[in-house]
Amino acid sequence: MSPGWGRITALARKDAAELLRNPGAIVPPLLMALGALFPGFLVIIGAPMFAGRTLEESGDFNEAVDVIATMPELVGLTGNALIQAFLFHQFALLLLMVPVVSATALATHAVIGEKQSKALEPLLATPISTVELLAAKALTPFLFALALTWGTAALYILGSLLLGEPGVWQTALGPRTFVLFVMVGPLIELATLLVSVVVSSRANDPRSAQQLTSLLILPITAVFIAQLMGAFVIPVAALLLAALGLLIMNALLLVIGVRVFQRETILTRWR
Amino acid sequence: MPADLLVADRLTRAFGDRVAVRDLSLSVAAGEIVALLGPNGAGKTTTMRMLAGLILANAGTITIDRVRVSESTANNARRAIGLLTETPGLWERLTVRANLLTYARLQNLDEPQQQVNRVLEQVDLADRASELAGKLSKGLKQRAALARALIHQPPVLLLDEPTSGLDPASARHVRDLIAGLRDQGRAILVSTHNLAEAETLADRIAVLKTELLAFDSPAALRNRGEGIEVMIEFEDGSRQGFTVTELSHVPEIVTRLVNEGRRITRVTPDRRSLEDVYLSLVGTDA
Repeated sequence: MSPGWGRITALARKDAAELLRNPGAIVPPLLMALGALFPGFLVIIGAPMFAGRTLEESGDFNEAVDVIATMPELVGLTGNALIQAFLFHQFALLLLMVPVVSATALATHAVIGEKQSKALEPLLATPISTVELLAAKALTPFLFALALTWGTAALYILGSLLLGEPGVWQTALGPRTFVLFVMVGPLIELATLLVSVVVSSRANDPRSAQQLTSLLILPITAVFIAQLMGAFVIPVAALLLAALGLLIMNALLLVIGVRVFQRETILTRWR
Repeated sequence: MPADLLVADRLTRAFGDRVAVRDLSLSVAAGEIVALLGPNGAGKTTTMRMLAGLILANAGTITIDRVRVSESTANNARRAIGLLTETPGLWERLTVRANLLTYARLQNLDEPQQQVNRVLEQVDLADRASELAGKLSKGLKQRAALARALIHQPPVLLLDEPTSGLDPASARHVRDLIAGLRDQGRAILVSTHNLAEAETLADRIAVLKTELLAFDSPAALRNRGEGIEVMIEFEDGSRQGFTVTELSHVPEIVTRLVNEGRRITRVTPDRRSLEDVYLSLVGTDA
């Protein structure tokens, strides 16, 4: 193991041990995961159950059925299964809030926790470079948020297998889901992490930093609502374009993050 | 003559228009403790941070363990330095051992567990290693922080207010530890407000108020300026004061008075306190 990687993992392991002992950091991401999972199942499974008729029988989707039947992921499905699969795809976007909220909660605690305990100065007196410090501060929140996002996505697909019509869950294994959770999700998470780190450098408590960073949820919410209103699912090409945009955004945020993580800046300007 | 392990030469650092430290030169040899005294805002913390390689000087040079510190060598210089910050800065949700183990790994030490055991013994904290750092008393936290500064066995130690806020017994314990570290041959720079501590602990004292006002042994500092007042009391109850530049001149005065037929009952050198000297240097408004 290279000395630099050794220092990054040493600090990341420390952060992980601290986070696991900090309910204030861990509970919000877990609640967000639950909160993102349930609305889909409530609408797709719960509501028809309580109403005593299937989504197809409700007639609410009559106009959309012809359009959504042409979606590549849903080809071959008909009737209630088609509508369920369509809605599962729409609600999958909500799961992107999990990496945003998780990364925000964990990264702000990881940075502001150091400030509050006044642990940064002795830390900066070690041979750790500022880039290593930035990487270490991002690594634990990144891995934790990614695990939670993928875990939530796995539960979502498992739920659609157990509760959905036959054939519905397989539609979640296409390229759209792959791009959403393997490309867009981690890139949103990284952007959130970097924004959280930059905001945390100027904030004194995790909550005020989280309030600012949580604004990143707005675009996701807007797209989700647009999907519901327009009865469409974002195509794979649009998701790839979003991933490219996020990649550029992350590069810019990384430059800002590295500047914020200069020893002198941390000691003299962080408040 | 022990080698100088820490040398600052004409250091200057400004923040915007405000000069925090100007033209500061000092050195600390192996096996020596130098106390850095100065009022609040005198530039002590800035000096410590420059010496620790945390912030760069605008002008001047720093040499640590014979290596000149620059932007490119700062990381290596930090390996030769143990820094004790004013507040312990421990990770309070972790045990003392976990705190030290993380620092052992950050320093890329071989056999980090053994290094942690060694340093815990050194600061007499082995029996508290499994306790959460946040549950320790202030004195024990300071010892844990000292252990952290020593984990990589640095030849140079920078200790910022090591006994600040400690009860007398804890402060004594920390002072004894620091004296022990000097005996091991480390070069130690201690920033402190405590004049008595500086006087008992330090081999030399640097008085700083943006600029270095004095840098000498405690005895030499006390003897600065107006010399030493000596009060002589006679059998008839009268008293007479003399001023000498050195205490070695007192026997000559006593001999002269005895030869003149005076009967002396007591000779008391009225030494200036370090506090008097310090206040005369930095001003009473400091």
